[in-house]
Amino acid sequence: METVPALFLTGLMVGYFVLAGCDIGLGMLLPHLARTPAERRRLVAAAAPYFLGTEVWLVGAVGVVAGLFPALKAALVADLWPVLTALLAGWLLRDAGLWFRSRVAAPAWHRTWEAAITAGSWVLAGAWGLVVGGLLAGGSPASPFALACAVCVTALFALRGAAFGAERLVPPEAEPVTVPGPPAAGGGALLVAARAGTAVDSAEAADAAGRATRVLARAALAAGGVAAAAALITGAAPDRPVAALAAAAVLGAVLAATAGLSGPRLSRHTSALAIAVPPLVVAAAVALPVEPVPGGTLALVGYALAPVVPLMVLGQVWLYRMLRRPAPTAGFFA
Amino acid sequence: MFDDPLLLARLQFSFTAATHYLFVAFTLGLAPFILFGQLGAVLRRDPARLRAVRFWGGLYVVNYGMGVLSGLVMELQLAVNWSGLSEAFGYAFGAPLAVETMVAFFLESTFLGLWIFGWDRMNRWAHLACFAVVAATAYASAYWVLVANGFLRSPVGFEMRGGTAVVTDATALLANPAAVLAFAHVVAGTLMVGAVVVAAVSAYHLARGADPDRMFIRALRASGLVLALALMPTAATGGLQFGAAADAPPTSGLTLTAAEIAAVEDAYDGGAAAAIGAAGEMVMVLSWTLMSLLALALLLAWVPKAPGPLRWALWPVVLTPVLPYAASVGGWVYRETERQPWAVVHHLTTADAMTDLGPVAAGVSFSLFTAAFAVLAGTTWWLLVRYARRGPDGGPLAPAPPPESDARPPAVPVA
Repeated sequence: METVPALFLTGLMVGYFVLAGCDIGLGMLLPHLARTPAERRRLVAAAAPYFLGTEVWLVGAVGVVAGLFPALKAALVADLWPVLTALLAGWLLRDAGLWFRSRVAAPAWHRTWEAAITAGSWVLAGAWGLVVGGLLAGGSPASPFALACAVCVTALFALRGAAFGAERLVPPEAEPVTVPGPPAAGGGALLVAARAGTAVDSAEAADAAGRATRVLARAALAAGGVAAAAALITGAAPDRPVAALAAAAVLGAVLAATAGLSGPRLSRHTSALAIAVPPLVVAAAVALPVEPVPGGTLALVGYALAPVVPLMVLGQVWLYRMLRRPAPTAGFFA
Repeated sequence: MFDDPLLLARLQFSFTAATHYLFVAFTLGLAPFILFGQLGAVLRRDPARLRAVRFWGGLYVVNYGMGVLSGLVMELQLAVNWSGLSEAFGYAFGAPLAVETMVAFFLESTFLGLWIFGWDRMNRWAHLACFAVVAATAYASAYWVLVANGFLRSPVGFEMRGGTAVVTDATALLANPAAVLAFAHVVAGTLMVGAVVVAAVSAYHLARGADPDRMFIRALRASGLVLALALMPTAATGGLQFGAAADAPPTSGLTLTAAEIAAVEDAYDGGAAAAIGAAGEMVMVLSWTLMSLLALALLLAWVPKAPGPLRWALWPVVLTPVLPYAASVGGWVYRETERQPWAVVHHLTTADAMTDLGPVAAGVSFSLFTAAFAVLAGTTWWLLVRYARRGPDGGPLAPAPPPESDARPPAVPVA
């Protein structure tokens, strides 16, 4: 029995990339999107509530790997020890920045922890890129193919953050104007806010994020192209090339749409699809050392987990519904 | 000394675990105060009591942040630096940790997010229910982690098949006395941590003559009662573990023969670790004794009209949180050094449990995370003391200022 827990693990990783991509990517783009103290505060307040509910997906995935797939864990640690250590350091730095930034009202304090958020987010995204690249390359992340994959994944994180920012960085003053619009229109909020006139200036960060989606999608597309070329030239194909090709085609199509055709308008959905590809392609195209889980362990985890799954779903849905509005200007993280 | 990767990895883990536990202990100990405080406020529809919940809740959230950060580092460090544990015992030792990440932490963090952002935005019963989930999952988290820790100390409920431990008796694993007794000890001990910190913060404000809405005398009385009630259970659940530690685990001999086990234990000379462990035990017992005196003193707060003119007598109470924290670290140092030279008693030595790291890699990892921890833990404590001294008007969960104002609420010293 390894199919069900392997699918569960894949689901946790996809959930992590799609959801945590929002707050990690927003942290990466902090210096670019938020130029004034008020904008930076709004950006942190937009990322900070999310990360409490998104990083738990990764913690759950680490738990599943450690408890149900020890052979996979041993292989990951052996191949990627330096990358995982960097990932952990980046994670720590980013989270410390989010927790501490709003605790003291002093510009130097804010700058310090904003720098920690940005640096930590880049390290986190880059380390995920190296993990994905290394796994697709069959072990070491030090190859042209793996490095190109890493750049592509890093750009996908930034793209996800930009798409999220286009929606969340709209100032609350503009909120009543957006109410009649369809709630799913990602870029709609900023368009309406821009037309509203009064909020034009303060919606600048959201507009910048909307514009950045196109640039970042192009960057990710280019890096993906380089990775494909490197795979062809060096022959560094993943274990199951057909699955990898299919995933690359999906990624290419989605990114092309974001880069040219639809732009920021649908980027909330296209960026989510795009960033779901890296964990899916690793799961589908790489022959990871996934061994059958012994029945006793599976039963223990299954029986403990099953009763709380509805509560996990309820908590996540409730949290995102509460946060599906422009970031507040006051509160614990603002 | 610092070119020995094993020593570095052990020191790194002990620093991480000790730091993590300091924050976890306060989380566990404070959660019931907040839960029952909020329940009382909701039942009475009392805004004054709700202000007190905001104050203690602010401390809870700041403290929780560092608990999570250190917990993440601990989980990843276990995976990265101690891979020998998962090679043979991953399915048995890792399973309760896997359950902990999803059944406890996943829910705890999500619902704490809801609780933080639900202030002024949520139905009061729904808001209370969010914290009830947070408190329940905090304790569930402690239980599952102690199932994993208890397994190291007294490995039960598995068979060795092809060099891998396979869980055959989940009930034995979950009801392992080494886990259940430790959980009871942690529940009682962390209540003492929470009670003493609540008492110290309340004493600080009462000694200065500040008691808005009578929130601090209420907290002082409650904490004295909780401390007095938790004293004996802490000692009893701790004392019961002394006897259990001496026995060989029921699975002894499944991995190594009796002769091999004897050879490992004969070659181990205790050394510094044994001395440090003995010191930990002494600190724990001494702190408990002093806290039993403190409990008696705090019960005087139930005298009507206390503290009255004797409020200056509360100043020494402000310094007492050092006692439960010292006892907590001392107790853990004692428990974990006592197990040496084993990582899994009679199955796997600590040396064999470690990932094959070179001295450079171990040194980099050690310096990086120890330095980061010193900064983060120091910052968190500084913030906690700062918020505790500010009182209910300056806390991080205090009601928001008007939306137009760009300024943070001012740091109002409590008059």
